[in-house]
Amino acid sequence: MKEKKSVKFNLQQQHQNGHLSPFKFAKLFDQEASWDKDQLGDVLHWIRQVVALVCGLLWGVIPLVGGIWIIAFLLISSGIIYGYYAMILKVDEEEFGGHGALLQEGLFVSIMLFLLAWTLVYSLVHF
Amino acid sequence: MAASALFPNLKYSDGLTVVGISVCTALVCEAISWVLIYRTTSYKSLKSSIDKASKKLETMKTDSSINKPKAKAKKMDRVETSLKESSRDLSLFKFKSGAVVAIVLFVVFGLLNFLFEGKAVAKLPFVPVRIVQKMSHRGLQGDDPTDCSMAFLYFLCSISIRTNLQKFLGFSPPRGAAGAGLFPMPDPKTN
Repeated sequence: MKEKKSVKFNLQQQHQNGHLSPFKFAKLFDQEASWDKDQLGDVLHWIRQVVALVCGLLWGVIPLVGGIWIIAFLLISSGIIYGYYAMILKVDEEEFGGHGALLQEGLFVSIMLFLLAWTLVYSLVHF
Repeated sequence: MAASALFPNLKYSDGLTVVGISVCTALVCEAISWVLIYRTTSYKSLKSSIDKASKKLETMKTDSSINKPKAKAKKMDRVETSLKESSRDLSLFKFKSGAVVAIVLFVVFGLLNFLFEGKAVAKLPFVPVRIVQKMSHRGLQGDDPTDCSMAFLYFLCSISIRTNLQKFLGFSPPRGAAGAGLFPMPDPKTN
């Protein structure tokens, strides 16, 4: 049976400290860590941005040309996000609003960043 | 332009100029927003109440210890109403102060338009759909749909750079506020 983690909201901790606890990078791969909805959303957002930047640079340098590579990027990016929260962190997606909510974190911005990086690198390197 | 002088061998070095100006504009806009909006006590208290209301709502949704569904629903309605009111107040507050940022963006876009009108600043590695071509091929000569106009490149820069900058600086609207949705744009009230 797949282990599911429940969300623990840090309301009490916030009230005690007056601010959110500092984010620790070790938490990124800690299956036992408890996740605040905002923290997980932010992590997924930044992972998408990094993937967008890397893909944009790679696609531009090779170069990969054609609209099909936008679809490829979407599949790769979403696959990485899904793999991260479902298989590495093993969070219960229902506690965070379902797969849709988690997969759409930072999606649109990452598409724009990917297009920007891809276009810029392609234009500068190959012309 | 500046990038053309620095990189004379690059055909599309103007794209770098557009990106550079976008980065600077994003920093200036966030600085203005910080002065007019983010450092004010009104903004901080509104943001705090939205954060608290959203978290309270989430806790109530997942809390199964409350046995009276009617009382729970009533309480949730109250919290939701409070959340909507705070979100509306926040939007209104930022709208009033966002006019200055809007003027800066208008001026910058006008300047870029003046500098790069009719000139392809980049080459798209894909053929955009017809509706996107209206922006990506705006003002350009010829029929090559992969020629990229300043307007489209600036649009990509605005969304990607400014949204991520806002997120990095912690100026993004709270998730509980209305309008977060599938396509979170750079905070529109500071545009």
